Amino acid sequence: MEPLPWRNFQGKGWQDRIDVAEFVGDNYRPYYGTAEFLEGKTEKTSRLWDKCLQLMADERAAGGVLEIDTRRVAGITAWGPGYIQPDDEVIVGLQTDKPLKRMVNPWGGWRMVEAACEARNVKPDLTMAKIFTRYRRTQNEAIFRIYTPAMRQARKLGIITGLPDAYGRGRLIGDYRRVALYGTEFLMREKQKDLYAMDNVDDTTVHLREDIADQVRALERMAELGKSYGCDISRPATNAREAVQWLYLAYLCAVKEQNGAAMSFGHNSPFLDIYIERDVAEGALTETEAQELIDQLVIKLRLVRHLRTPDYDQLFAGDPTWITESLGGMGEDGRPLVTKTDFRWLQTLRNLGPAPEPNLTILSSPRLPEAFRDFCAEIAIKTSAIQFENDELMRPIFGDNYAISCCVSATRVGRDMQFFGARVNLVKALLLAINGGKDELTGAQVLEVPQLTGEYLEWDQVWHNYERVLNWLAVLYSRTMNCIHYMHDKYNYERVQMALIDSNPHRYMAFGIAGLSVVADSLSAIRYGRVKVVRNEQGIAKEFIAGGDFPYYGNDDDRVDGLAVRVIRYFYSTLAAQPIYRNAVPTLSILTITSNVVYGKKTGPTPDGRLPGKPFAPGANPMHGREKSGVVAAMHSIAKIPYDICRDGVSYTFSITPRALGLESGERTRNLLSLIDGYFGALGHHINVNVYNRETLIEAMEHPELYPNLTIRVSGYAVNFIKLSREQQLEVIERTIYERM
Amino acid sequence: MGRIQSIQSFSTFDGPGSRCVVFLQGCPMGCIFCHNPESWDFNSGEELDAQTLLRRLGRFRPFLSNPGLTVSGGEPLAQPQFTLELIGRAKTQGWHVAVDTSGWGPLEPFREITQAADLVIFSIKHPLTPMRLAPGSNLQNTLTNWRTLATLKIPVWLRYVLIPGWSDEPESLQTLGVIANELPNLERLEVLPFNNLAKDKWLKMGKESPIFNGAQRKVTEEQILRAEQLTAWRRPNYSSE
Repeated sequence: MEPLPWRNFQGKGWQDRIDVAEFVGDNYRPYYGTAEFLEGKTEKTSRLWDKCLQLMADERAAGGVLEIDTRRVAGITAWGPGYIQPDDEVIVGLQTDKPLKRMVNPWGGWRMVEAACEARNVKPDLTMAKIFTRYRRTQNEAIFRIYTPAMRQARKLGIITGLPDAYGRGRLIGDYRRVALYGTEFLMREKQKDLYAMDNVDDTTVHLREDIADQVRALERMAELGKSYGCDISRPATNAREAVQWLYLAYLCAVKEQNGAAMSFGHNSPFLDIYIERDVAEGALTETEAQELIDQLVIKLRLVRHLRTPDYDQLFAGDPTWITESLGGMGEDGRPLVTKTDFRWLQTLRNLGPAPEPNLTILSSPRLPEAFRDFCAEIAIKTSAIQFENDELMRPIFGDNYAISCCVSATRVGRDMQFFGARVNLVKALLLAINGGKDELTGAQVLEVPQLTGEYLEWDQVWHNYERVLNWLAVLYSRTMNCIHYMHDKYNYERVQMALIDSNPHRYMAFGIAGLSVVADSLSAIRYGRVKVVRNEQGIAKEFIAGGDFPYYGNDDDRVDGLAVRVIRYFYSTLAAQPIYRNAVPTLSILTITSNVVYGKKTGPTPDGRLPGKPFAPGANPMHGREKSGVVAAMHSIAKIPYDICRDGVSYTFSITPRALGLESGERTRNLLSLIDGYFGALGHHINVNVYNRETLIEAMEHPELYPNLTIRVSGYAVNFIKLSREQQLEVIERTIYERM
Repeated sequence: MGRIQSIQSFSTFDGPGSRCVVFLQGCPMGCIFCHNPESWDFNSGEELDAQTLLRRLGRFRPFLSNPGLTVSGGEPLAQPQFTLELIGRAKTQGWHVAVDTSGWGPLEPFREITQAADLVIFSIKHPLTPMRLAPGSNLQNTLTNWRTLATLKIPVWLRYVLIPGWSDEPESLQTLGVIANELPNLERLEVLPFNNLAKDKWLKMGKESPIFNGAQRKVTEEQILRAEQLTAWRRPNYSSE
């Protein structure tokens, strides 16, 4: 007889309705001990990982893509089961029938498929081409049909940029735990109940009902996929191996059907730990086997691939998938959410070596168990592969059942969804204000703004014009997002993830801004210094000569930090007044990923003295080399950016040499923890921790073959350094790395 | 009131643990290998009283594991009253205070100020012919101040910048070792590699230095090790506690 899946589990409420958080609260056990219990990798894992390393080396040698399956359309059941080395695989499931073979996903747009295939010298399938150009409209096509000329122009000039109108928007985290805890059968019944409980009274309801109907269909397909691997996921998991397997299969369905930019995983450790602890108590699982489950899950996550266009790769360098997994955090009942399985996830960085994916994120609090904090800091220093976010800042808003989506954005698992909104280039917006509404590179008239004529920039005039530009931009930006997400819902709906989120979820629209530090320094130069303008015959500034002693953002100087905050508050207040698709609540991020290089390239000279084409600083970072007072002063400046407005996240990338962090390892751990505690105590939101020497990066640039696993953190994700373009590598090397002069 | 050149909010080089460093404005030494030539001028910098300065530093304190403060320069001994007041007030507030000096100036107030600190970081520019490197120095005076440290009950770190062709002669390093051995309370002898990073600063300020004008001088780890061996200094069994 099958063992009962819920044997020995406490609590009742979660048994009658979908409530994973309650299940976790009723059953998990916090772990206060040290990392000493951890085990290395098993022989199976070793053999399997060696094989994968070989495959990844082949992939690099082949120019970044190993193989593309052009004959099938991406989908949950498009491929039969696929394996790497079946004898060694404890957790099974691949996106296609072979590891690292990439899918063609035409739902987002056919032109993108063509561009991606062309870049790899592969021809797309003719029948598929016919279907997706003649009979079936794609997200990309639909959006471009309804874009206004102003939207197209702003997009082309790079004022609104990185928009998810030519790729999947991602950002949704399905509550994959639901499949493990309840099985798809139960979930389907609940969705059907929701579907029939609603009546067709208006557009909104019909829209929602169609969504739910799609979700039900997805759950059917997911069960089918499970069956092809010999896993009956229609019923709940009965042990730890099944729990990990079910969880992964649910996620796998999402990445089989969607190529969203960020496909994050959730906050799964306490959940999995309950199953592992039960098996251990029953004598059915050893620590070595428990670690093997997590190692093998992580191997699978590290193999997720999507087919991207060259344009996309430029924006999001290094082939990222943002499989963000959150660890740690405090429970609202005061118990830490830290379990042995949180340690096991971190242990994968030792067992398998550092890697950018999954994107491990520590929900940090000074109240977390000391041993766990030390372990996190040690691993961060050793691998430069993990990031920290301020749990004390997020928990009061999101509760304790949240995870980080994409880079840095908190989202309640199974309750919220996010419409990803890329970002606007606020530096170009400032140049519009200075240049009479003309684009500084092409001279195109973008909007009407009074032309400035003085030899020197006057603060009052510039700020007045800037307000005008920001108003215009907020309207255009929000309307552009409304177009994109309407069509994304219609033609490229994420039925898998949405099947694992509540039927009528809370929605965010995640707007973003790029170039904050350049804007702040430019405004500071105008207000506190003297900025002379050299204009061309069109009246466009081709050079700025900044003089006087003005403060730079990043030195804990309220004059300039206040300007950064002022811009953010102003822009957000205008955005928040706009009508937003599906009544989503607007949030804002200060985040750029690697795109700060591309944005800088598309931006002319700026009043702070930055030269045309030069990269912006990443995320909310001060500009390179302008933090004169060291890291703590820089942290204070960044922490002034208000999280109550920037709830989509404020990203700070911190780099330091091992020696500058401390003389020996114990001291480094202590110093890093007190820096993080200080920063979070000052209400900072996010920090990437990089500990390396500039020389290592330079050497890796010259001899990439010697550094296949060198991982560094850039604005909200981690990346394989050698996968970055030369330009991006140079930008990373240019960044402020705190060291001794 | 003191004249402040700049503040570094996080350092692990200038004393134990992680700490803030206050660079005072003004230095009479004129070292031709200086990395901070903008700190020489006694008339520039920001004027602050000790209380305001400490309030500003207080913002950095929660980020530091064992909050420390190093008073550096410029030359802190060139602003003796302010330095003394700053050390006193900082210690009352619980900071671990180090003073980083070239040993310039008369024995009093040198003794009074160093005595007030928790750690003295003392840099000797050259043990035989400092005038070549630091026109404003006076070896006699430096050594008198150095020797008075032996009578104090606080730890001392000695710093020496190794510049190939300028300060790496074996007899100089041996002499440095002899000087180092005079202090039973010397905890560390740090031989620091010279680097060329300040070259642009010098150019920008229109200053000339034969060291920066020459070819890039890179100091290798072996050179440092050899220099350390030549000093033949070994840490005595001394405890600062």
